[in-house]
Amino acid sequence: MTGWHAPDDLVTRYADGSLAETDAWSLEKHLERCGRCAARVSHAVRAGAAGPALAEVRDAVLATVPEAAQSTTTTPARTTPATAAGPARTTPATAAADQVRTAAAAVPVPDLAPAVAPRPSRAFGGRLARILWAAGPAVRGTWAGAVLLVALGAVALAYGGGWAGARPLLLALAPVVPVAGVALSYGRHADPLHEIAASAPSGGLRLLLTRTAAVLAVSAPSLTVAGLLLPSSGPQLPAGPATAGWLLPGLALTLASLVLSGYLGCRTATAVVGGGWLLAVAAPLLVSTGTGLTAGLTEQLSLYFTGASSQGGWAAATVLCALLLAARRTAYDRLETM
Amino acid sequence: MNRPDTTAVPPFGGAEHHSAAPAGRGRDGSDDTAVRVSGLTVRHRRTTALDGVDLDFGLGVHGLLGPNGAGKTSLVRVLATVAEPTAGRVELLGNDLRGHRERGAVRRELGYLPQDFGYYPGFTVREFVAYVAWLKELPGAGTDAAVERAVARVGLADRIDAKVKTLSGGMIRRVGIAQAIVNDPRLLLLDEPTAGLDPEQRVEFRALLRELGRTATVIVSTHLVEDVAAACTEVTLLEAGQVAYRGTPGSLAALGADGHESDGNAVERGYITALRGHRTATGAGR
Repeated sequence: MTGWHAPDDLVTRYADGSLAETDAWSLEKHLERCGRCAARVSHAVRAGAAGPALAEVRDAVLATVPEAAQSTTTTPARTTPATAAGPARTTPATAAADQVRTAAAAVPVPDLAPAVAPRPSRAFGGRLARILWAAGPAVRGTWAGAVLLVALGAVALAYGGGWAGARPLLLALAPVVPVAGVALSYGRHADPLHEIAASAPSGGLRLLLTRTAAVLAVSAPSLTVAGLLLPSSGPQLPAGPATAGWLLPGLALTLASLVLSGYLGCRTATAVVGGGWLLAVAAPLLVSTGTGLTAGLTEQLSLYFTGASSQGGWAAATVLCALLLAARRTAYDRLETM
Repeated sequence: MNRPDTTAVPPFGGAEHHSAAPAGRGRDGSDDTAVRVSGLTVRHRRTTALDGVDLDFGLGVHGLLGPNGAGKTSLVRVLATVAEPTAGRVELLGNDLRGHRERGAVRRELGYLPQDFGYYPGFTVREFVAYVAWLKELPGAGTDAAVERAVARVGLADRIDAKVKTLSGGMIRRVGIAQAIVNDPRLLLLDEPTAGLDPEQRVEFRALLRELGRTATVIVSTHLVEDVAAACTEVTLLEAGQVAYRGTPGSLAALGADGHESDGNAVERGYITALRGHRTATGAGR
């Protein structure tokens, strides 16, 4: 602390509202730490034009909640400097309104709470809303559009084009969609805010997981619904894997790309994992020329998705990746390398 | 916001009054030099950006001057915990940066305006600053008020609900300053904060800098010597990855006292003198 205290003329001008806004903010900053100046400002405000209005409002509030009066008697010293912001930028009338708001907030009576609901512009209250909003930038326009294109494209191919291969193709692509979403939402190559996020405590694993969750929340339902809409098999084709069969592999691949990001950076890791999956699906088709594309793809996907052993394997991989992520959480502190 | 864009009265009556405050004392009155750097070396591939730099910074506004490529941005990025040094020790706010917990503690009390920064196209000023507040782990309850105050301090209260992409370059710079100060940082790093600001905005910004420097360690990298002369309590001159000069704006002006007005003002002449002196001493002439 410096030994500085607000001179009297500053206090007076603050109390009567003639102080410039920047100076008012500065003074308020000081008041947060200096009880002596806060008391002086408080006194000046109560002695000024807004004084009678403040006293009236205070009496009215205390009269409404007599049972809480005892606890509020200690609050004026604390709340008045804060509400003194009113006169500096507005009229005594709004200062009085501020006083009601602050005093009511300090009073632990539930019926009063709805009356002082936050303004609409401050709608991002609530914890869930905050999380959704924080994840928001993850679901970027291009990627969300791509998810929609894959889902609608498969439906259009199946019904419009009458192509039986639409469903296996959708299921083959589905696990890489969330991986691509991670690639497009995190890291120095994808996130315009990365330089600022890199210096923030939450810029590491917390941000990466928030964005991944958003990506999964969008892609999992939309692709699964699209898969359910498609005819499960053609007349002469074997029944394909269950539509939900892609969910665990998708989750495992997404987490694997997060783990790998800790070593290779987000862009390379997602390229390796996504490319690896596509190769694993496509390579056997290229080797065996006997069967048709649709039948071959269906067979390949059934191998990867159907049965307790393969789903169990994906579940084990998911758990393993989650454990690795937890163990290596500090590796994500350097967003610059992501 | 009802305040017109007039030249701001320096809060609390002017800089001279405050620059007398001794550096090296923290908010809580304890002895803490916010930044201690020793033997700091940063290499990018084959070029050396910083070459064994030793520096301390305490409370106040510190100007970081130097020609382009001198290593200013490299230093700021290391201090912002963004870039990892190739070698050397960095201690910020009493914490060693190598530990995960310590790094988190430092980052919570850090403000950083990068030289270039992006934003999400759909975000308003309020959302952008609030998003950074979330990243800095500000408690949810106080965020709204902190965001409004930070935006008001940079004079954008009337544009708080405007989309960032609709603002001018100078205003976006001010949004960047607002996000840097939203958590009331103890260590504030500003890389070229006055780039894109018009002269009037620069004057206002310097007043804000002086005010911030009363309670925080502020490090401002700039190539504008006049910013340093008007707003800084101390000056550090970097040249080719080394510290070429340390002093105050006054001592830099004294260095250029006996020059001619056509070569710029005294501080600018002092800057040139110090720079040439260092080049002569290290044998790296032009």
